[in-house]
Amino acid sequence: MGIKCFEELTAGMILASDLKASDGRLLFKAGTEIEARHIELLKRVGVAEVDVEAGACELSDGMLLEIEDYVRDFFLYVNPDSEPVVEMFRISLALTGDAVARGWCLPDIIQRRASNVEHMEDLFLKGMGSPETIVMHEAELASFPDIYFRIKEVLEDDSASATRIAKVVSTDMSLAAKLIKLVNSPLYGFPQTIDSISRAVALIGAKELSTLALGISAINYFKDIPPELVDMKKFWRHSITCGLLAKILATTQTGLSPERFFIAGLLHDVGRLIMFKKLPYASTEAMLFARENSIPLVEAERSTMDFCHTDISRPLLEAWKFPEGLSNMINFHHNPMEFPNPLEPAIIHLADNLTNAMEIAQGGMYVLPGVDEQAWEILGIQADPVLRDAVEQCQEQIDTILGAFF
Amino acid sequence: MGSLFSSSISLRKSVRISDDEFLLLRDFIYEKSGIFVDVKRKYLFESRFSKHLGELGLSSFSDYIKYLKFDVKKAEELPRLFELVTTNETSFCRDLRQLDVFKVNVLDEILNEQRKAGKLELNIWSAGCSSGEEPYTLAILLHESLKRELPLWKIKITAVDLSRTMIEQAQKGVYGEYAFKTTSDDIRKKYFTKESEGWKVKPEVQKLVHFQQMNLNDSQSLKKVARSHIVFCRNVVIYFDEAMKKKVVGSFYDNLLPGGYLMLGHSETLHKISQAFKPLYHPGSIAYKKQG
Ligand SMILES: C[S@@+](CC[C@H](N)C(=O)[O-])C[C@H]1O[C@@H](n2cnc3c(N)ncnc32)[C@H](O)[C@@H]1O
Ligand SMILES: [Fe+2]
Ligand SMILES: [Fe+2]
Repeated sequence: MGIKCFEELTAGMILASDLKASDGRLLFKAGTEIEARHIELLKRVGVAEVDVEAGACELSDGMLLEIEDYVRDFFLYVNPDSEPVVEMFRISLALTGDAVARGWCLPDIIQRRASNVEHMEDLFLKGMGSPETIVMHEAELASFPDIYFRIKEVLEDDSASATRIAKVVSTDMSLAAKLIKLVNSPLYGFPQTIDSISRAVALIGAKELSTLALGISAINYFKDIPPELVDMKKFWRHSITCGLLAKILATTQTGLSPERFFIAGLLHDVGRLIMFKKLPYASTEAMLFARENSIPLVEAERSTMDFCHTDISRPLLEAWKFPEGLSNMINFHHNPMEFPNPLEPAIIHLADNLTNAMEIAQGGMYVLPGVDEQAWEILGIQADPVLRDAVEQCQEQIDTILGAFF
Repeated sequence: MGSLFSSSISLRKSVRISDDEFLLLRDFIYEKSGIFVDVKRKYLFESRFSKHLGELGLSSFSDYIKYLKFDVKKAEELPRLFELVTTNETSFCRDLRQLDVFKVNVLDEILNEQRKAGKLELNIWSAGCSSGEEPYTLAILLHESLKRELPLWKIKITAVDLSRTMIEQAQKGVYGEYAFKTTSDDIRKKYFTKESEGWKVKPEVQKLVHFQQMNLNDSQSLKKVARSHIVFCRNVVIYFDEAMKKKVVGSFYDNLLPGGYLMLGHSETLHKISQAFKPLYHPGSIAYKKQG
């Protein structure tokens, strides 16, 4: 959909969906070509936004060059001859071109420079806190949601009955509601509506549902991070997109159960949340450093703090006793080849890069971290068309899945 | 997914840099400036330099390295090389917490000591000052602290940077919105005047600061800086390797008067670099006091 605000509306644009007044009254049907008199009418009715179709012909050559330059900036750090990277570049170009044709404005230099947050006091000064002490401090202060541990218990108990699992999960209403939405989303793609947790357990299996519940209850823990520090909505959008892409990409491999990848993707940057909580000023300095030097955030973290978010997730997931397989995918998503069995983390690694590539068309801020060559070989994927197909699938499904969370 | 762009558009636009060329160039940069570039930034180098290589009419990095080392114009090229490898991110009142710590725990102490000794003199060195926001911030801080007492004082803020362009910009003292992202409107109105090009720093602030192009790698010229009570070197040594950090911090030590202070950037420490300073931990910042 290409939402244009009223001021941008010009004659000749085509409505992409039915246009309704604030009281729900139908004004014009989808497919109507906007004429000057329509604009007059809409102005009187007070319509703020209009959903119009993309018209490729709208973009001038100059604009296309501008878009190309804009997108190139996000690929400065990565190998310009790497197969997946080149394909991601083309995908970003397509998406950004499309977004601009639909009325999105490329962020200008000022918007792209970091705005920094002052007055944030870090709990640890440089050199005073190792990742372990930082995590310990966190684990001591705040207790993790009770529900998380009860889910873990049933997850580890092979003899736990489906009814018991359903019962545990159902005690947390908002968790149960999210789960129901998710199992009804394209993430699972069941043809019929699933209206209860016990039905969900029966369909997707006890282990699977508990893992999903575990991941979601972990997210809840971070709901109070100050919004002026990070746009949490953007953060979770990044995480959910990465989860979805990881799940889709996992289907290219034989013998993996794709759903686990959604959870690993969902939590892949969880270490960063602890950084926001414990080192808010250092985190913003890292963001500033990344943008100013055109390096990925993970590199900037290493330069400014001497450790990165996966160094934090390691002790954190251990303290939470998070399932080991999932933890490994998360902890090694920036360096999959350092894990003895690199296939699973390699998928999160690729999905994270692809997520970054997609985000360029949404005003992303950071350069791509780059795809490890060996990891890419292990996956044995044909960049074209697999990556593009994955992005298309993701685009079709993402809104519904985001809807389950927000 | 349809695309407005050619499906075979390539990402590579620049000349390739071989691993050997990268190492040669990196070593050259290090030797000249102490700036150390990780091999992970190889591709960044390719794209940053490619346009410049084109302008010089060079078709490979090997040729560029030869140019840097042997060409008759090599001396002119050095500053351009520096521009390509440095970043100048800065703003007024950067790191408010640190400035607070500085005012309460460092500046006031030194001012009092000077008053007691009957020497109304203060030297501050801002090393790696970029476009001048940091030394001007310090000058403003002094105005705010000393108020009407200020004319009685002999104050000198020596501000140096590797980049000539930055020094020229700093001397002009005209700034855009971005420079004020963490500065209150009160301070802006009090110490700047609006001009067509931006906000110009007022003469009473400007006259406290003396700018000079200087390479921190050049120990000889560092020795010529007047001895200081305070050294500010923020977000600069992060670009150096350990040996260069030690060398520069050593020069600061030599420059500082007994009991003087060194202030580093938020992501920098003297841990593993020097034991000749005593770290004083304050909420939000560390002040390093010269020992001995
Ligand atoms: C990121 S800026 C920091 C500006 C300011 N101190 C602040 O914290 O906002 C880093 C500056 O260090 C300067 N620099 C880097 N290497 C240097 C060297 N060897 N000698 C002098 N200045 C150097 C760069 O030119 C750049 O302007
Ligand atoms: Fe990450
Ligand atoms: Fe990520």
